[in-house]
Amino acid sequence: MVKKIAVSAILGVVLSASLVSAKEHAGKEYILKNGYQGPKTCETCHPGKAKEILGTVHWKHASKVDNVEGLKPGEEYGMKNRIYTMCNGNDIVNNLKEIPPNQLGQTKFSGCNTCHLGDHTSEVGSTGPQAEESIDCLICHSSKYDFSKRKPSKRADGTIIMGQDRSTEAAANLSRPTSKTCMVCHETAGGGVLVKRGFSVDPKNDVHVANKMVCIDCHQVKNHKFPTGYDPNNWAHDGERISCAGECHTSKPHKNADLNRHAEKIACQTCHIPKTGGASAKDFTKWEKQANGFWEPSTLRREVNETKPVYAWYNLTVANRPTFIGPNGSRVDGKSKIYPFKIFQGKAYFNKKTGELMSMDFAPPMANGDALAGVASAAKILGIKDYEPVPGWQTIYFGSNHLVGPKKNALSCTSCHVPNGVLNFSELGYSSKEIQKLTSPELYFEETVKAQEEW
Amino acid sequence: MKKVFPVVLMLAVLTVSTVAFEKTASAEDVKMVGSITKIEMASDSTSAKVTLKDSKTGENIVVTVADESTLDKFKDKRIVDGDEIRSKYDNQDGRNVAKIFKKTAGC
Repeated sequence: MVKKIAVSAILGVVLSASLVSAKEHAGKEYILKNGYQGPKTCETCHPGKAKEILGTVHWKHASKVDNVEGLKPGEEYGMKNRIYTMCNGNDIVNNLKEIPPNQLGQTKFSGCNTCHLGDHTSEVGSTGPQAEESIDCLICHSSKYDFSKRKPSKRADGTIIMGQDRSTEAAANLSRPTSKTCMVCHETAGGGVLVKRGFSVDPKNDVHVANKMVCIDCHQVKNHKFPTGYDPNNWAHDGERISCAGECHTSKPHKNADLNRHAEKIACQTCHIPKTGGASAKDFTKWEKQANGFWEPSTLRREVNETKPVYAWYNLTVANRPTFIGPNGSRVDGKSKIYPFKIFQGKAYFNKKTGELMSMDFAPPMANGDALAGVASAAKILGIKDYEPVPGWQTIYFGSNHLVGPKKNALSCTSCHVPNGVLNFSELGYSSKEIQKLTSPELYFEETVKAQEEW
Repeated sequence: MKKVFPVVLMLAVLTVSTVAFEKTASAEDVKMVGSITKIEMASDSTSAKVTLKDSKTGENIVVTVADESTLDKFKDKRIVDGDEIRSKYDNQDGRNVAKIFKKTAGC
């Protein structure tokens, strides 16, 4: 009885606390009275948070990376400085800038770092009081943020700045970040909506979303550090990692022992994320003129759930060569599991003299389609003088870690253990004799027959 | 009578297939890129009529948007007048109903 009362009391306190927090931010009155002066207003009650942000991937767009081959130890990598063919540029060569006039005489602002939390006068990775003051706290924390104010513009001195909504109304309406908060930036990565990742946070596409979960229910943020997974193409991380097994699921999540045995060698995503989406290929050597007079790299677009993944062993370390970024692993290393990936292939210019992939400044080709002028501009920015650009393809394996479908859509025995199944057992390292056994109905026939609905 | 029945049956089949074909043809998807010139939210906020100026033809096309995610983008001004949109729609009962409605811009 005492135990029941104690539990009820604790639940009561938690519930009332959550109701209060859902109702109103404790500092609302202060903000309404004093107005909002940017991060220093937040720091009145949350000291140290602005400085804390400056140490995260969201601010630096880079971090030390310890699971990718061929990187310089001690250096930081991320969209700040990486060169690969989904983007072929980075924050350095494609720093937010005004694109030169196109044939119609029009210009526009563009850059990889348009999603950065600063105002662009304080840039990716900057530090110090000015950087702290430039943080756009409200873009993540306000439920009344006016996104029409977050647009680039040019000052009289020619500096490009990114606008922010620092209104008292936005500051007075704070709430827990929703999935929308994250997708404002993350859905437009790679040159357009759902181009890079190809997943939309939608109840139709994900059981977690259907159960009213939001991004930060899984990516549980602590001190502005976001836990992330091991996508072979997502290198920068805050030092915190995410896994299905933990708070919500165990390492033996199924009632069926056979399925739990599978989970020892097969990642959850393999069966529970049967489809992927987003662009499957891009050609940065050939830009297409758009109806608005600007040019874009030619892209094979795919919608959400429109692409079948490929499956490979992955030991969470990454092969990183000029023509290939993808999983390391094998069935015999004792560390790997089979994971699903979206394969992306991108064409861009390589330096014939070094074999390295070259970067591209998008400003010239966006204005006139001249891809080589973009390579030349990027080379100049990076101080590369000795180069000979030759076109070539790069293959990238993107982790397929979202779009967890309902149970009925998950892969089943007959998805894999049939001669035309989704797993290529030969490429996964199995012998002909093993494949014969792995694709025999003997493995599942009896159980599947019992489970199938009667006609 | 025996001769008339097959002819009537054939005519019936022909009529049904013609109607079905017309319906399919009218439901064909149209793809376009255009800039927003006007966004009109319905009074119950469950849909919006958006006028897009076709970048190729200059023609104004009114597209009805009903998906929650896009409507939310109108509400918090993530999508506003002047934004360039890539849209796919089909004609349903005289309305161009959007199946895809995305800003062309990305980073």
